[in-house]
Amino acid sequence: MKATIAQYYPGSSALHRLDPRAKFVAVTALAVTLFVRDSFIGLAVFAGAGALAYGLSRVPVRWFWRAFRPLLWLVGLTFLAQLIFAPGKPFFSIGFIHLSWRGMELAAFLSLRLVVLVLIGSVLTLTTPPIALTDGLAWLGRPLRRLRVPTDELALMVTIALRFIPTLLVEMDTIMRAQRARGADFRSGGLVARARALVPVLVPLFVLSFRRADDLALAMEARCYRPGVVRTRLHPLRAGWRDAVLLVATAGVIVLALLV
Amino acid sequence: MRPAGDGEPRPASAPGGAGMGLSCLGVSFCYEEGGTQLPALRDVNFELPAGGSLALLGASGAGKTTLLQVLRGLDRPDSGAVLLDGVEPDGAAYAGLQREVGLVFQAAEMQLFAATAREDVAFGPRRLGWPEADVATAVDAALDLAGLPAGDFGERHPYSLSGGEQRRLALAGVLAMRPRLLLLDEPFVSLDPGTRRDLVAVLEHLKASEITLLLATHDVDLAWSLCDQRLLLTDGCVEAAGDWDFAGAGGSLLAANRLREPFLVELWRRLGRDPGSAPRTSDEAAKALA
Repeated sequence: MKATIAQYYPGSSALHRLDPRAKFVAVTALAVTLFVRDSFIGLAVFAGAGALAYGLSRVPVRWFWRAFRPLLWLVGLTFLAQLIFAPGKPFFSIGFIHLSWRGMELAAFLSLRLVVLVLIGSVLTLTTPPIALTDGLAWLGRPLRRLRVPTDELALMVTIALRFIPTLLVEMDTIMRAQRARGADFRSGGLVARARALVPVLVPLFVLSFRRADDLALAMEARCYRPGVVRTRLHPLRAGWRDAVLLVATAGVIVLALLV
Repeated sequence: MRPAGDGEPRPASAPGGAGMGLSCLGVSFCYEEGGTQLPALRDVNFELPAGGSLALLGASGAGKTTLLQVLRGLDRPDSGAVLLDGVEPDGAAYAGLQREVGLVFQAAEMQLFAATAREDVAFGPRRLGWPEADVATAVDAALDLAGLPAGDFGERHPYSLSGGEQRRLALAGVLAMRPRLLLLDEPFVSLDPGTRRDLVAVLEHLKASEITLLLATHDVDLAWSLCDQRLLLTDGCVEAAGDWDFAGAGGSLLAANRLREPFLVELWRRLGRDPGSAPRTSDEAAKALA
């Protein structure tokens, strides 16, 4: 089954062992400065840093490609839009399409920047389990608790939702099979017919999900879960010297990219 | 709804008319996960004559559910073929025969979705494209057969029924399509003894009406009382097929697969009688011992 959200590649590389908070801060800082600095040389610095991080993560290229493929059309679209609509003196015109050297340069730059952004972002999601990521985000969002934002509860909700996506997919497959055995047909007919064919799948799926949510809430209460109470963790987040190295290296990359 | 079926239903006299014969020839099937092939069935061969009954036994993960899915045509075997009434899968009549194979899923109540019991049971027959009058007859007959008289239960909301009633309603949804071969996947799991007894009565009735039955279960006592034959699966391979056999290694084979001998067979063995002639039911046992 294809996981489409937050693909994680299990591993034990140096990057895998880093604190999710440090990784998140580093990636955010890189992404922001990536958009501030608009020159090819700056882009090359970020690309180099991304490639280095990617090499350190020891994630097979296949996995990166899988994370990247869904975004390919976005990159393509960006390229085309810039190519066609960008300013500059056209050297070739047909209808509303004007090709200019400046436009080509801009198109190449913007789509490459998107590729580098995906590269850096996917290093984070590929080396960090979704649950560690939500834990890290909850920690980083702690100041918001002063404003009564229930950050821990939100993080728990996200964790539970992620946890049940594979379960739901398996259940949906089973229900679809059961209805197919009763003659349901999900593959033919127009859009309306196909949408209607899904009713016998979605109704049981919702009912099962609500029932499970009830059970889960009861089970959590039975194990003394109370919202708003500070909970300890089995694996507390612990930042070490490696994380300091990451942040210093990130700062170095940013300074380098801004200076060259 | 758009009719998907082949038109006219068979006469409503018996739930399934004559049973359907089933042959499984060298069926293999692999699941694919992350690029690796996980074999679930390896060269499965067996015959089930029309009107016969077969218990599909095996430890959890032995491939019982996969085999049922393949037999119903929800999964296509990687090699080998499932013959229905001797017809090969590429035959023109095959799709029609496949519609006469009913599959009751494990925890079948998860398939319920309609606003009334009657509507839910009518889903299958309508997909077969039967005229509405035939659908109504088939639905009422199936509800009665499943022990949920249409008058009392027809207009109830499926989710207002008890767990056991939901299970039987799901069974009715399959029976309404008048299957000639009925595959059941662990139908007795998480039923209370009363509901279980009711369900056994339904299956005995189906068996008497000559519908072919194939029952995947962990319950060897029920399997022994209901089924003429058994098929034992281990890691997707057929370990034993055909008539029950408790002589020699027969009994220990069950134990080796995290099962046990049926209670009455064990009793006969303990009493020093021939386990091969053990009674199928407690009635028979009482008569034999009286």
